[in-house]
Amino acid sequence: MKKLKVFFNAMVIALFALLIGAGFSTQTAHAEKTYQIGTDVTFPPFEFANNQNKYVGIDIDLMKAIAKDQGFKVNIKPIGFNAAVQATQSGQIDGVIAGMNITPERAQTFDFSKPYYKSGVVMAVKQGGSVKDLNQLRGKKVAVKTGTSGAAYANSIKNKYGFKVVTFDDSSNMYQDVLTGNSAACFEDEPVMKYSIKQGTKLAIVTKPADSGSYGFAVDKGKNKVLLAKFNKGLANLQKNGEYKKIVDHYLESKGTNAGSSDHTFWGILKQNKGFLWNGFLQTLWLSIVSIFFATLFGVIVGLLGVLPYKFFQGLSSTIIYIFRGLPLLVLALFIYTGIPTLTGTKIPAFIAGVVTLMFNEGAYIAAFVRGGINSVDSGQMEAARSLGLPFSKSMFKVILPQGIKLIIPSFINQFIITLKDTSILSIIGILELTQTGKIIIARNLEGFKVWTIVALIYLIVITLLTWLSKWGERRTRL
Amino acid sequence: MIKVDVKNLVKNYGSNHVLKNVDFQVQKNEVVVIIGPSGSGKSTLLRTLNKLEEPTSGSVVIDGKDIADPKTDINKVRENIGMVFQHFNLFNNLSVGDNIMLAPVELKKENKAEAVKQAQELLKIVNLSQKFDAKVQSLSGGQKQRIAIARALAMNPDIMLFDEPTSALDPEMVGDVLQVMKRLAKDGMTMVVVTHEMGFAREVADRVVFVDEGKILESGTPEDIFEHPKNPRLQSFLEKVL
Ligand SMILES: Nc1ncnc2c1ncn2[C@@H]1O[C@H](COP(=O)(O)OP(=O)(O)OP(=O)(O)O)[C@@H](O)[C@H]1O
Ligand SMILES: [Mg+2]
Repeated sequence: MKKLKVFFNAMVIALFALLIGAGFSTQTAHAEKTYQIGTDVTFPPFEFANNQNKYVGIDIDLMKAIAKDQGFKVNIKPIGFNAAVQATQSGQIDGVIAGMNITPERAQTFDFSKPYYKSGVVMAVKQGGSVKDLNQLRGKKVAVKTGTSGAAYANSIKNKYGFKVVTFDDSSNMYQDVLTGNSAACFEDEPVMKYSIKQGTKLAIVTKPADSGSYGFAVDKGKNKVLLAKFNKGLANLQKNGEYKKIVDHYLESKGTNAGSSDHTFWGILKQNKGFLWNGFLQTLWLSIVSIFFATLFGVIVGLLGVLPYKFFQGLSSTIIYIFRGLPLLVLALFIYTGIPTLTGTKIPAFIAGVVTLMFNEGAYIAAFVRGGINSVDSGQMEAARSLGLPFSKSMFKVILPQGIKLIIPSFINQFIITLKDTSILSIIGILELTQTGKIIIARNLEGFKVWTIVALIYLIVITLLTWLSKWGERRTRL
Repeated sequence: MIKVDVKNLVKNYGSNHVLKNVDFQVQKNEVVVIIGPSGSGKSTLLRTLNKLEEPTSGSVVIDGKDIADPKTDINKVRENIGMVFQHFNLFNNLSVGDNIMLAPVELKKENKAEAVKQAQELLKIVNLSQKFDAKVQSLSGGQKQRIAIARALAMNPDIMLFDEPTSALDPEMVGDVLQVMKRLAKDGMTMVVVTHEMGFAREVADRVVFVDEGKILESGTPEDIFEHPKNPRLQSFLEKVL
């Protein structure tokens, strides 16, 4: 007990030291006039990790060019849009450039630069197709990506033009739906759309940007006036000397210099992303192993409760199985990750939320077949053991369980494989496992089909290995 | 000396009254055979004697201990009551030897070496000496039932219960099992046997009990029951089975 306390104190002290040290280092950074600028994790073409996993994009190139023009240094931190906004408000960083729309609401808490980019929703159709304007959409389907301004725009005009909106979770699926002809068109922010076309998506923009908004660089209200002034001045210079156009064209114009510079063959994609994919694969494997361990533990305990000769425990077991088998995995994951912190006020790391989700869901299936397997052992076995004077627990462990376990080993192997596959659903809460890795790679190169093929093959290889391992284990236990 | 003393025993399954105020006694060294039509409650009566079925009401006293009383350690009582089932119920996950040795070793009656020695002796008694390491699945029905008897004897019980031990057997195997049971009877084991083997009842039983519709309708020596049955239902039952 005492040892634990000492250890705990040491931890707290270490943590403080770390925090103070961190504060100190930012202060020295200020002294050298290096500005800390926050940005989003992935928002191509404004900010995204390139093939070498270096952060590039219009926002980043522009910020660097302005810094050079005005003679200051920047340190750009891709920490996510929300985190960047909050860190700016709390003064941890100096500003945020993240494709941020200038709105009156935001202008109350931030000072914005002059608009550096005008954006708006455009309509894109299949290259060489017959649909050319909004009036031709009557009675047809239109693809959008959930939560985008393109989706909002499409929904606002769908009655007027008489089309039906189909919503997708990511851009590449949305484009695919137009390319296969299921949907006649899609709606998307102009720069995002242009970037996709530059990356090789066979779509064409056929309308002028609608509902346009403007992006601005933001600092905390009333602070960093100097930085803001330098940004505005630098921006004006770049727009005058043509460098601004060069940066934007580099990302958006089809004849830009960057086109085709990255290898989009299977091998090319695999080679460029091998480290990234490997990490995703390791995360999937680790997530599976930890989840399988806890799900098995949980499942066996709940399953055994269900065969105890007490109505209360049987009912408890049935209820747990009923609830967690009944909930869709996706809903359970979101509930645990976002719902629980709302109720208790403590945040759960995504990995732990993921493990807990799988523990409950897969554990419920395991509990069901553990209970079923034990119940399917002939009741005469228990009677014979009890009639000899063996207590319930001894009868269970020496006679019933060994027979029950043999019956359920194939179900276990099956459940392990399902668990491994189900880890992919946890990409919804942002765990950077294999599926999420695939999504991020696609966000950058838009090669949905090829990347998903690679990801699928990796899953198949792992599952084949797991199956062999289990079969080997099964054979061992049979001896 | 009274080994088994059942008084006013009632057993209901919901609205199904299976045993209706049964009084039943077994003396030490006595062999009692229970006969009666199917569904009359014979198995239920037998199974309440070691509490595999809980009585609805009434008392079941074994060697002076009331097993309906929750304070009685039923496991201790069961150690003294061997039971043989119609379908053998040998432990499928264990070898023949381990089936016999499980209870004595687990309940710390004997150490491993003593248990092995005793198991081999029991196998000799049931004429299956060479089967110690055999798998349960490799045995014939008659062999299984004899192993089951050996297993039940391993705790050195002084009461043995048999529930139709030969009715799941091919006719040519019935003799081997009955022979083992006869030998037990001769050695003075207290036995309660539910069976349709009237020859065995006639030859071995000290007393035959006729059960019908949850009641004991007649009880007496084999001669009383088989030669001079009084109850008309017993008479018609015997007409059918003999
Ligand atoms: N677990 C149970 N639940 C409900 N009813 C039962 C149960 N066990 C037995 N019974 C009923 O109790 C009655 C007596 O059954 P029991 O097995 O004692 O008859 P039996 O005389 O042994 O018949 P048999 O010669 O066919 O073995 C039957 O009507 C049977 O359906
Ligand atoms: Mg019966």
